[in-house]
Amino acid sequence: MTDTLESIPAATRVGDLQHSSSNTPRPSIAQRRRRKVAKRSLVAYAFLGPGLILYLVFVIRPTIELFGMATFDWNGLSPIREFIGFDNFVKLFGDPLFWRAFVNNLLFLSILVTFNVVVGLVTASALARVRRGRLIFQLIFFLPVVQASIVTALVWRWIYAPDGLANAFLSSIGLDGITRGWLGDPSTALAALALAAAWSGFGLSVVIFMAGIQGIDQSLYDAAKVDGANAFQTFTNVTVPQLRPVITVVLLLEMIGGFQTFDIIWATNRGGPINSTEVLATYMFKRGFTDADFGYGAAIAVAFMVIVLIAAVISIVVRERNDD
Amino acid sequence: MIETTAVKATPAAKTSQQARRRTLGQRFPGLALYAYLSIVAVFAIAPLILAWSTAFKTRPQVVENPYGLPIPPTLDNLIEAWTTGRFSVYFISSLVIALASVLGMIVLASLAGYGLARMKFWGRRFVIVLLLLGLTIPVTAIILPLYTLMRDLGLLNTYASVVITQVAVGLPFFAFLMRAFFLRLPNALEDAARMDGASELRIYWSVMLPLVRPGILTVALLQFLWSWNNLLLPLVFLTGESVRTLPIGMLLLSGRFTTDYGLLSAAVIILTFPVIVLFLFFQRNFVAGLASGAVKD
Repeated sequence: MTDTLESIPAATRVGDLQHSSSNTPRPSIAQRRRRKVAKRSLVAYAFLGPGLILYLVFVIRPTIELFGMATFDWNGLSPIREFIGFDNFVKLFGDPLFWRAFVNNLLFLSILVTFNVVVGLVTASALARVRRGRLIFQLIFFLPVVQASIVTALVWRWIYAPDGLANAFLSSIGLDGITRGWLGDPSTALAALALAAAWSGFGLSVVIFMAGIQGIDQSLYDAAKVDGANAFQTFTNVTVPQLRPVITVVLLLEMIGGFQTFDIIWATNRGGPINSTEVLATYMFKRGFTDADFGYGAAIAVAFMVIVLIAAVISIVVRERNDD
Repeated sequence: MIETTAVKATPAAKTSQQARRRTLGQRFPGLALYAYLSIVAVFAIAPLILAWSTAFKTRPQVVENPYGLPIPPTLDNLIEAWTTGRFSVYFISSLVIALASVLGMIVLASLAGYGLARMKFWGRRFVIVLLLLGLTIPVTAIILPLYTLMRDLGLLNTYASVVITQVAVGLPFFAFLMRAFFLRLPNALEDAARMDGASELRIYWSVMLPLVRPGILTVALLQFLWSWNNLLLPLVFLTGESVRTLPIGMLLLSGRFTTDYGLLSAAVIILTFPVIVLFLFFQRNFVAGLASGAVKD
């Protein structure tokens, strides 16, 4: 404190600069400014440096390396790897299992997105209309969101088991005919897992939609009331059109998340039965690690990354446009 | 409007039906809404209650009374999972990794966020675009080169491999989050401290950082949640018995004892308990943080 008191008159910025540039009698304004910016840049990079270095080494570098890896025939271990150019990609486009995984991935995320947007939207607007218990409902809806994916996977595997809760519930309402081992049946396994994934994520979309609904101009609802609109008409004519930007954002976020699905499938069916739950991430993991075919696994990962990147760029553009 | 529709749709039955519906709605306002919300709430919480109650049941109880309450409750499953199931070891691993990951992220993300928010520097735009790119790179897609990188660095089967990757992958998101918090602070504070001759580091540490405590709390909670629940990175990097985390322990347990629901449920409780306690205390921070754009994975 004492030395700051003494230094106040001397340590103005101009004084500092003159001191540091004593060899040149009168630096031009441009020079001075440039030097100041250089010094500031140095300080800024000192702050950003540690994180940025970690990020460059452990995210950007592997990303670049992935594209290189995809041009080799390599088991991941041996010091010799054979350069094969685009052969892995040629093989990829002719690989029926890759396309199966891609289509499964699309089906999985369509179910996930539809459920979370529709149920999320309806639930959020119902929640916005009630006075009491809003917080407790929101707490309950959000509990699955903070669960580990492995918990979601195991609890739902148990629910879907032949002697599980799903069949017990269906029997109790007289639907004995459709009971089955839901994850063992190739025709239902993918949809069943998508519903489990939706369970773990819909609470988040409810919260995002709630925030959107609270931002809607109340006078629109008052006008709808004056016009004699019922709850359903108000929902379709006021809430949904007003929330269109929010719906787009949730849709894209869920899509990006849905494309990256790995945990819940790996912890339950691992792609089976007969490839019915194979998605891009599990297929890449199997070919890369399980079959030790790093080149081909990398090619799948490149395709996978390009798809996610496109969806992500669209979502960023849409969000930027919404903010304006 | 009302008159014309009434004239057009004259059937008496229909109007009386409408009247009845209206009176029911008037007598119990919001009844349908509460009914719907309750159904959704049951869907959300029933699977969790099923797991939590089954953890306290003996094997015969699970078979005879799969969906009832555990009466009398037993702690056998929890004890078995904790001791012979080695979940005490997995718990420590998970805790060490999560705490290191949180600490690393708080330090690096707040430094980076501060630099991005309050400093002008060469290449600023480039750095921002580079970090934005990181928001879109899925960690699943780069897991193969990450594995070979960790192997070449000799970091496989060390906590460091998982901690470093978790911090590096989450850095863009949390740096932008901290940036938003730092942007809200007034310039006057910074200028005053600079006039007093404080160094940049001192301004950051003593003046600005204490003012973004809510941001740091959000970073800590979300990074803890993500690290604690993370399956993929420990699955790939940690293959040794002694460094396994809880999700991996649970994955192995579920493969070995597919139908021992009591034991599996006990594992669910051990894994979810810390997260649920944190969530109940900091509900608002979790909800706001996750809704701000993080994609759950």
